[in-house]
Amino acid sequence: MNSLSSRLLVSVSVLLLCFFGATIAVLDRAFTEAGEQARRDILDGHLVGLLAAAEPDETGRLVMPNRLREPRLERIGSGLYAEMRGDDGVVLWRSRSALGLEIPQGADLELGDHAFARESLADGTPLLTLSLAVDWELDDGASQPYVFKVAESLDGFNAQIAGFRRQLFGWFAAVAFTMLLAFSMLLRGLLKPLRQIETEITEIEEGDRASLSGAFPTELKGVARNLNLLIDSERARSDRYRYTLDNLAHSLKTPLAAMRSLLNDRQDKDFGRRYNEQIDRMDEIVRYQLRKPAASADRLVLAPVPVEKEVARLIDGLGKVYRDKQPEFEVRIQEGMQFRGDTGDFLELAGNLLDNACKWCKHKVRIAVVPSTGGSAVASGMILSVGDDGPGIPQEAADALLQRGMRLDESTPGHGIGLAVVKDIARSYGGQLSIQPSDLGGAEITVSIPPVSAAKDN
Amino acid sequence: MRLLVIEDDATLRETLSRKLTESGFAVDQAADGKEGLYFAREYPVDLAIIDLGLPEVSGLDIIKQVRADGHSYPILILTARDRWEDKVDGLSAGADDYVVKPFHFEEVSARVNALLRRSGGWASSVLNAGPVTLDMSRQEVLVNEAAIDLTSFEYKIIEYLMVRAGKVISKAELTDRLYDQDFERDSNVIEVFIGRLRKKLDPDNSIKPIETLRGRGYRFALERNQVD
Repeated sequence: MNSLSSRLLVSVSVLLLCFFGATIAVLDRAFTEAGEQARRDILDGHLVGLLAAAEPDETGRLVMPNRLREPRLERIGSGLYAEMRGDDGVVLWRSRSALGLEIPQGADLELGDHAFARESLADGTPLLTLSLAVDWELDDGASQPYVFKVAESLDGFNAQIAGFRRQLFGWFAAVAFTMLLAFSMLLRGLLKPLRQIETEITEIEEGDRASLSGAFPTELKGVARNLNLLIDSERARSDRYRYTLDNLAHSLKTPLAAMRSLLNDRQDKDFGRRYNEQIDRMDEIVRYQLRKPAASADRLVLAPVPVEKEVARLIDGLGKVYRDKQPEFEVRIQEGMQFRGDTGDFLELAGNLLDNACKWCKHKVRIAVVPSTGGSAVASGMILSVGDDGPGIPQEAADALLQRGMRLDESTPGHGIGLAVVKDIARSYGGQLSIQPSDLGGAEITVSIPPVSAAKDN
Repeated sequence: MRLLVIEDDATLRETLSRKLTESGFAVDQAADGKEGLYFAREYPVDLAIIDLGLPEVSGLDIIKQVRADGHSYPILILTARDRWEDKVDGLSAGADDYVVKPFHFEEVSARVNALLRRSGGWASSVLNAGPVTLDMSRQEVLVNEAAIDLTSFEYKIIEYLMVRAGKVISKAELTDRLYDQDFERDSNVIEVFIGRLRKKLDPDNSIKPIETLRGRGYRFALERNQVD
């Protein structure tokens, strides 16, 4: 029951069964009722014929003519029978067709009663009967009660109904079968694109294909596109890891080589310092790599970061670290502000900027976070700026800071790696970094992260 | 001052402890979280240096427990993880500062000194009280701007008292915090050193920097010059 098609087929079969079952029941009932009504009309006609044929004889008793107009009443065992009884129940006349048969007398009737009934012969043959109790008025004014009864065997009628039912079931079964067949073929056709996706994914896994083809029906295009995005981002991620690892391994080799060659002049009085320099370089390389952005996949799958709370934690911690300086923090954060991204990345952005500001400020540090929104944004971005009242950063130095990429094989002592990390993270979120003078007097560094727009069409 | 170093890497722990001892601290060492937690709760500690990634009990848990017990001595974190996420976790658990591995000893030493003097309420590493000036980074004592020649043990005593200027320090506390081991528990030794210190700092007995409170201990009695 795990396949979609078998589920559909089972549900459709059940539906068809219910539908056809109801149809058959209704048709069968309508046919039976119409047939029985026709039988009753015929019996009525025969009864009228009998009444018309009956004549009183000279003694004033009713007699039936020797031959009746209805041939079936004359033919023995024809299935149509008639009789006439007196009011004491004695059979006065019986049609020739009923020769040797005993037609049941049935219920007593009041005079003038006209009643249909289902009865049966001694051998079990079912009958539809019509009885009429009449008061026959003679010429002399006297009257005599009689009961006329016509009966018809229902054998033929029942056979007819059975035949009708057989046909009904036959046809409906054929129709249902054809429908199910057609439906399963339709289903195969409909599900073909899904099987195609499966095949293509297998091909991607085996390396025979780079991405899903675009040849899917509209309903599946979105799925295929998102799968392609996922595949691309996974591929980009693994490329990035490979690149990073490669880069890291190679960049560690230079200081290692330097250290080995330094070992040759161990007696040198500068040995300790120069050796330490290489260790610092390696440390910086590793540190930078460890702090690279965590999130690069879809930001929408990440839980939003409560900006106020995280900033409060940072400020609390930095307050301890810079207790001697006791910087005055001014926090301007929109209430309930959230950042769609990795918590670690956010802390890295805000932490590095705040740390720098605390390092350079005289007394005041200001952090402001506002959301940035865009047309088709499904999650807002963020503009994070941190300013201080320190010496500031001259324009040329700012440009240089922004331009310089953190190169692994290039040691940048003293400058720390905070800003390089911030820049990297901002870029991984599609954002950017800018440096401008702060109205507090020092520098203000702003990180703008754009909003996440709804699934891009490529 | 008595420091507690909790670090599982033997080389790092021993080098760090040796250098701290050389700088004049009494140092207790713990090699894992369980031992560390026991020391941190039961020993007299002026400052703890705690590695975050410890076996048995994590550094973060030790810090939380110690703070939950109500100990307020400063805690310096050693960590290999330098993402802000980890630093903030440590600081909000109750640590006061962090040093990221690999570090230079000078950095640890500077942070330790800063934390210690801050815990005594001093904002700068140069402590000023009356005519007495003590420079923690240079381990130097000046009276009326003249350098005083002190032995390392004498310096330790005056530093301990002056960092806690105004507080009464018992003889037992002084022996506890200043000696590495439990030997030389004889409080007469302390009396002798205090006597010598007084002579060196205040030869004509005019400024009276160290006060004796009979039966209770000693107190650095001069007013701090510096305002926080």
